[in-house]
Amino acid sequence: MTALIFLVTAIGMVAALRGYRGLACGLFGASLLASFAWLYHHASDSLKLAF
Amino acid sequence: MAGLVRLGNGIAVTAIALALAAAFLLQFVMNELPCPLCNLQRVALALCGFGFLLNLRFGVQPMHYGLSLLAALFGAAASGRQVLLHVLPGSGAYGSAVLGLHLYAWSFVAFVAILAGIALLMIFGGEPEPSRSERRNGMDGLSRLAAWFLIALTLANAVNSVLLCGPIECADDPAGYWISRYLP
Repeated sequence: MTALIFLVTAIGMVAALRGYRGLACGLFGASLLASFAWLYHHASDSLKLAF
Repeated sequence: MAGLVRLGNGIAVTAIALALAAAFLLQFVMNELPCPLCNLQRVALALCGFGFLLNLRFGVQPMHYGLSLLAALFGAAASGRQVLLHVLPGSGAYGSAVLGLHLYAWSFVAFVAILAGIALLMIFGGEPEPSRSERRNGMDGLSRLAAWFLIALTLANAVNSVLLCGPIECADDPAGYWISRYLP
């Protein structure tokens, strides 16, 4: 899944360099949303912060 | 001042690419395999660079800074969570310390520095540049080189994630590369 996020990010960067701003921003948004979802998936352990 | 702000954006893209390269160096030299949260911090770094790259390509715009800000906040959340997982005495740590701090702590510092850097660029940037047309590319050679360096490292991270984690999910504490199961 992380590989897919990296790939989409890289494609977005190439799209930006080629001049496709809308596509680049869309791919940025998709990558960020997928990253948030993946962080939520991995942040399942409860934090033990009490001394 | 506009030239200075463009230089700042170019330096930011280069610094982020160098940070991703340093992470690879530690991975291959010190065998510091990235955990899922570590990989997400690398994603956040790449996304921060993406916003600066948009500034270099299309002109400095508040929206591009906004994208980098969102990515830096995401990175701070991911690295901050990992710091909290290991903050109590006796709760262990992930990986080795570098210059007294673990990589996730350095990562948190880096994301806070990016947030502060964007604030300074916005304060001293003055008026937004007129948006360059989609087709007209005003990037100089060094900016283009920095951009392709960042893209190459992002793609290298995609390949690295597959080799380390496989197609879907990474182990919480990876002991070796997923691909090594299939190698003789």
